[in-house]
Amino acid sequence: MMRDLAERLIAEETRGRKSPEAPHAIALVIDKLRPDLQTLMGNMGYRALLSRALAQASAEFAWLRALHVKSDGSLAGLSQLELESHVDSGMIANGRTALLTRLLESLTTFIGANVTLQLAHNIWPNVLLEDLDSGKGKRK
Amino acid sequence: MKKKSGPDKRKKVTQYPAKATIRKLPSGVRGLDDILGGGIPEFSFNIIAGAPGSGKTTLAHQIVFANATPRKPALYFTVLGESPIKMLRYQQQYSFFDESKLGKAVRFVNLSDMMLEQDLNAVYDEIEKQVTAANPGVVVVDSFRTVVRKAAAEANEMEVQSFIQRLGQFLTSWEATTFLVGEYDPAEIRDNPLFTVADGLFWLSQATDRNSVLRKLQIIKTRGQESVPGLHTIRISAAGLQAFSRTLGLTGKKTKPVRRRRLSIGIPELDKMMGGGIFEGDSLIVAGPSGTGKSALASQFIAEGLRRGEAGIMAIFEERPQGYTDRAGSFGLNLKTPQEKGKLEILYLRPLDLSVDEMMQELLDAIARVGAKRLVIDSLVGFEMALAPSFREDFRESLYRMIGALTGGGITILSTVEVEDTFTAFSFSNYTISFLTDDIIRLRYVEIDGQIRKVMVVIKMRGGNHSKDIREYIITDKGLVIIRPRFTDYNGLTTGIPQRTGPRKTQVDEAAPEPKARK
Repeated sequence: MMRDLAERLIAEETRGRKSPEAPHAIALVIDKLRPDLQTLMGNMGYRALLSRALAQASAEFAWLRALHVKSDGSLAGLSQLELESHVDSGMIANGRTALLTRLLESLTTFIGANVTLQLAHNIWPNVLLEDLDSGKGKRK
Repeated sequence: MKKKSGPDKRKKVTQYPAKATIRKLPSGVRGLDDILGGGIPEFSFNIIAGAPGSGKTTLAHQIVFANATPRKPALYFTVLGESPIKMLRYQQQYSFFDESKLGKAVRFVNLSDMMLEQDLNAVYDEIEKQVTAANPGVVVVDSFRTVVRKAAAEANEMEVQSFIQRLGQFLTSWEATTFLVGEYDPAEIRDNPLFTVADGLFWLSQATDRNSVLRKLQIIKTRGQESVPGLHTIRISAAGLQAFSRTLGLTGKKTKPVRRRRLSIGIPELDKMMGGGIFEGDSLIVAGPSGTGKSALASQFIAEGLRRGEAGIMAIFEERPQGYTDRAGSFGLNLKTPQEKGKLEILYLRPLDLSVDEMMQELLDAIARVGAKRLVIDSLVGFEMALAPSFREDFRESLYRMIGALTGGGITILSTVEVEDTFTAFSFSNYTISFLTDDIIRLRYVEIDGQIRKVMVVIKMRGGNHSKDIREYIITDKGLVIIRPRFTDYNGLTTGIPQRTGPRKTQVDEAAPEPKARK
């Protein structure tokens, strides 16, 4: 379910952009999530959550090892990565989805699927999430 | 003809009430609004205080979820304590939690980082900024104690006091109902200026007594309205906090009807002994040792009510409902169908650590559900035993309040109490509960002609004359049946070992055992 959500959020953020397959698409999603998650967890908590997701996703997709989490919680290393063209686009697409999936999964571990989906709905009200609902949600 | 007096100069003026109207917000906590005197005064500045684990944060969340709307949201500021993500993790376990309110109606603001890095002025400015932007109806600062503690370490006392003053004035002026949540000690109430500024003070506590934990709530202060004083039991369950008022929400209920009817107890001879039946709205205690038919009498009382269209509740403690229903069936009393039709509920209450007020609430809820006119408590001893030890000392007081309020509302109560028969005394109960009753019927064993027989006597009928006869009864397949006129040829029946005063009569051999035992 969280992988599906990650794909939809990335698709929403890259829709109509020049290079939707570019690595920085993940930053667009994460930067939108960041203020809400920092509110919920504090900056340190958020950085820890993202760093853990990055470490997990890096184990599957080596190109993610070039990234790191800055002190403000943003992702660094994406611009440099885009200058280098040794990673194929399929690996990039799968890697960024994996990173966002891990982040959302960690969040779900803490606050459950319903609240995670509600947070996503508040940030991306136009993205259809109802079919991802665990069935018990009251999201309106 | 009316004289014209020029154009009507009367203007339509808006009528304002002479006194300010204080709207009351629902707390979202069952029982708490009654305790508060109707709810939480709108725009009040409140403190929710207590030890860790006493339910402060849960209470704050219940208030928030009960009142927050997208138009008037709730702002929940967290400071150097539990982070919002943990609150979401744990609070979503309660049924009051509604995730659809998150973000729009319920908004969390994490001030932890700011508190660590900046001073009180910055914290105040941030609260002011957020409140101004959101226009909230409810504001919570959790934990306010950590704000003040950290600030007090760095600033002088006047700065902290000024912060509290400014915050209170700002939030009240902004028409927000505010809750500062903090871990305080009761000893601080006198010296901490925060408690002087506050309009409302909710104090939560928990104490361990032997193996049970007792949670209590006290409304120490509510400006502008009358709350129920004293300590009230609270319970935290899947529904969140539930409060049980010391008055059980029964104050102000209607009082006993002026013209009381006599109700049949279901045993015609006993009705006669009672002068025509039990008065509607009376509390009757049936006292006797084990096996004398107290439960049979209680079943007959309820069944008679059901026959006359009066719904009933039976709270039983020593026997399971199925067994109780089956035994009543053996007396020809159908308690099963009324249960299916919602006219009778048999409550089997044997929890280990419920407070007396929670048990009372269960009874009151059931009474309201079926619209009961008759209530049986079988037995008071079992009721007391079902309570955790720490609650037993409150038993009589709570029972007194409940019985008083229910009978005042016209409900007729029959309670049984087991007493140990001695052959030297004639006690009505093992403890002083007679003050709970209008009427007392005593059952006891007596030894007569080489048999242990059963006799009953009406000891007391408040407000009515009654028979003074000691009557023998048996328990048959019709239930409890009074079988003969009063004994005139024995003395000392109440001792259990009477002395024959008349000639010995020829004894008729009885078929043994009694019909009841054949079932």
